[in-house]
Parts: sequence; C-alpha cells; structure tokens
Amino acid sequence: MENIEKKLREEVRKLLIEKKVDAVIGYEDGTLPLTATPCFIANPDDADKLVWNRFCTQNLAKFVHDLVMQHKESQKRVKPEDRIKKAFGVVARGCTSRSLVIHLQELQYDRSECVIIGVPCTGYVDKKKLATAVNQEEILGGSATKDELFVKTATGEKKIALREVLADNCRTCRFNNPVISDLMVGEPAPPMDAASEYAEVDAFENLPIEKRWAYFSKEMAKCIRCAACRNTCPSCYCRICFAEQSQPQWVGIGDDPSDTQMFQLMRMYHMVGRCVDCGSCISVCPMGVDLRKFLKKLDKDAFELFEHRAGASLDSPAPLSTYKENDKEDFIFNPGGGGH
Amino acid sequence: MAENQAKEGWEPKIVAIVCNWCTYAGADLAGISRIQYPPNVRIIRVPCTGRINPFYVMKALQEGADGVLVSGCHPGECHYISGNLTAKRKFATLKRFLNYVGVEGDRTMFTWVSASEGDRFAQVIKGVTQAVRELGPASKLTKKISDK
Ligand code: SF4
Ligand code: SF4
Ligand code: SF4
Repeated sequence: MENIEKKLREEVRKLLIEKKVDAVIGYEDGTLPLTATPCFIANPDDADKLVWNRFCTQNLAKFVHDLVMQHKESQKRVKPEDRIKKAFGVVARGCTSRSLVIHLQELQYDRSECVIIGVPCTGYVDKKKLATAVNQEEILGGSATKDELFVKTATGEKKIALREVLADNCRTCRFNNPVISDLMVGEPAPPMDAASEYAEVDAFENLPIEKRWAYFSKEMAKCIRCAACRNTCPSCYCRICFAEQSQPQWVGIGDDPSDTQMFQLMRMYHMVGRCVDCGSCISVCPMGVDLRKFLKKLDKDAFELFEHRAGASLDSPAPLSTYKENDKEDFIFNPGGGGH
Repeated sequence: MAENQAKEGWEPKIVAIVCNWCTYAGADLAGISRIQYPPNVRIIRVPCTGRINPFYVMKALQEGADGVLVSGCHPGECHYISGNLTAKRKFATLKRFLNYVGVEGDRTMFTWVSASEGDRFAQVIKGVTQAVRELGPASKLTKKISDK
C-alpha cells in the first residue's frame, strides 16, 4: 500500500503541474485514528496529503458529479466565448469507477471532464464492525498490515484479523479493480469472494413471506429519514429528488411507518441496475439500517433478468432504459392462458 | 384504511392502471358487449404503460388499494412501438422487489389486454379480484394515519 500511496502522490502532482486537471478528489487521513476522509487537492504541493488505505470508505464518484455540476452552473452566466472547461481527477477503485461509468452512460458529463486515477482495492474496514471488535471502546491509535489490524484502546492493544472487519460489500466484491481508468497506480489486486455475492439475498428469499415483511418493517422503523444515504450515493444525483417533491408529494411528512417505507422503497427502486454496492449509503447511515439486504436483491434481479451488472461496462446501458424482445414473461398474469 | 380493517362485508379495492389504446378500449368493449365482471376495480387511464411510474403502484398500495393491476397492449402492438416492453422490465423488477420485502405477489399484477379482447378483460378482472379476495384486506405498506 505504501508504494501505491507514493506513486499516487507522484501521479497526482504531475497531473496538477501539467494542468491536465483542475483538482483531484482523493482521500486524506481523518481527524480520528484509523479513519480517512475525502479531500480535494488543487495545489500540487498538497498531493502529499493523499492516502490510500483500509479506511477509505466513501465512493468519490459522488464528488466528481458535484464538482462538474457546480462548474457548469457557474459557467451559465458567462458569455459563451469566455466559458472555460475544467477537468477533475478522481482516485477510483472498482466501485467508484463503475459509478463513473453510470454517470457517463447517463450523459451527466463528458469523458474528457474526468481523469480517472485507478487504484487496486482489497476492501475497506467497516467502522461499525471495528467498533464491535473493540467492544465500542474509543480507538486511540493503530496500524494496518496486509491482513491484520493493530488497534490501541484505553485497555490495551488488540490484534484483529482483517477479514473479520472487512465491509460485507468488499468481502464479496466482483469488481475490486477499476473497470475504466486513464492511468493505473499499482498492480491489479487479487479477486475477492464474488461467488458468495448473493448468499445473503438467497437466504432471505427463502424465508417465509411474513418473516420477510417483519424484517423489512423492523429495519425501516429505524430510519429517521435523514437522507444521508441518498446524499452520499453517486447514483442519486437528481437536482430535485422525489423525496422532496411536493407535486405530487410521494413521501408524506408525517411519522406514519408507511411514509418511511415509501421513501426507502422508492429510493431503492431507483437503484435497479444502478447500485454498484459501494456501501457508502450503509456506512453513513446513523441508524444502522440494513440497506444492503434490499439493494443487493435489485442487483441480483438485474443480473438474473437482464444479465446486467451495474456500471460494469460502457456498452451495456441501464437495464430499465432499454428492452429485449425475449425478456422473461413468466410474471405476466394470464387467466385461462388466453391472449393471442 | 379504516374500512379495510373491518373484515365484515369487506370488498377488495383494486386499482387498474391501463393504457388508452389497448386495455382501456378492451374494457370499453367489455362494457358495450355487456360482459359482466366484478365491480371492484377502479380504472385509471394513461396514454401508455411505458408512462406508468412504478411509484404509482407503490403509492396506490399505501393509499389503501388491496391490489394493483397494470395492463397494456400485447408485445408488438404498442401504439408507441415499445412502451409496453420497457414497462415490462420495470414491472418484472418491481413485482419481485415488493414480494421480496413481504408484499404478496398477487397484490401487484401485470398483463396485456388488446382492444378486441373484451372477454379477456372481464376474465382478468375476475381473476385479479379472486386472487386479492383470497389474500384479504391489505395492511402492509398501508398508511394508518390519514393525511386528510
Ligand atoms: S445505493 Fe448505496 S451501495 Fe448502492 S451505489 Fe448508492 S451508495 Fe453505493
Ligand atoms: S432517490 Fe431517486 S429521485 Fe432521489 S436523488 Fe436518488 S435517484 Fe434521484
Ligand atoms: S441514512 Fe439511514 S437513517 Fe438516514 S435516511 Fe438513510 S436509511 Fe434512513
């Protein structure tokens, strides 16, 4: 990882000095030990702040979209002949690169507006799992090796196996290396355990329907509708989200459980073929709602029904924006087998 | 909805969202041919099934529908060429998703009825009403406190 970090800083410095990009979105150390946070670098001298480690959690594609849109907005009042173009660099692991593919497919910006600095990824640490592993004690410091974490708390130092605290989405990630990039830093990472990707969904599907409903309503009852999940999701870039629309008002503002369920079902349904399983929404949720259980089902269906993997390739369009003549029909209600 | 909670004398309330060119005309034909079908269905006409936001289905369930039916032109007969085919993809995923979270599959039905199929329209309504009747009143996803 050290080597990747060093090379990453060099490449970013070069891109900024050569003015190939106006700013780079990456990660820097967080204010607390064993955390990292997104950062924006415009000055080549700041490139040394960049880190690439086990604690880089958020999907940075979100910020590429934000920056491009802000820039476009700022250019609206400028005379056409005086308008300037900007490009943004982004440190992209597998899921981030897939979100960028989705943006490009959905014509949010041009390929020339982003420079993709690909990094190999072996997964990040789920901070909720880590907190459990240290019995919710305050983390005072620590370090990481290839498969272990050493965590210092007030009661001493603890050694934790990495695979125990790796985020669920990382453990079963199918695309841990970038699917597109302008330059790659480091060698491709070994594959993760993609074969068991849908194990959780399969198990849930096999529960009786009332158990499924009980779980869904229990999870949704935790949600305080803070919308952090939506705000961090790279696929959620709508200027006006249905959740805030008032004509029609999709989501009631009361505290009826069904209003929260509507918000969640609707937001998740917008992720058909668009969720890259980056886990950002789950990591920012203050209430620990098990969103992945439901998002992953949509991902599974998009593959089962349409052989689509979100953002895996620029050539495969969003599944709900297209169709095939031979799409499955078995769900069509057909009384008496009639029709013609 | 309050009246749904009283099982006594309960009748299924079914919202049917149908396209103007095929299923609505099919319903019309059923009407002018005097074919009988259960009066439990409330029909909403839209230009094309491709225009139906899947949110409509969820929202109908929240507002007290016991079942929702979406029906359009048979594949290949869409007035707008492929609206029904994109709709098919949306409803395939929606039906599975709702079932996954625990809403019975028979509460959301999708089918095709052409303008010449008055009898099929009646059959579909009979079938859907029967299936929803067997499930009983909907309570999942239903709003308990009315906004009004
Ligand atoms: S829904 Fe969550 S996991 Fe999926 S792309 Fe958005 S932030 Fe990532
Ligand atoms: S939930 Fe839907 S409407 Fe809202 S921002 Fe996300 S994609 Fe857009
Ligand atoms: S982040 Fe969590 S609590 Fe907030 S709206 Fe999303 S699911 Fe609900």
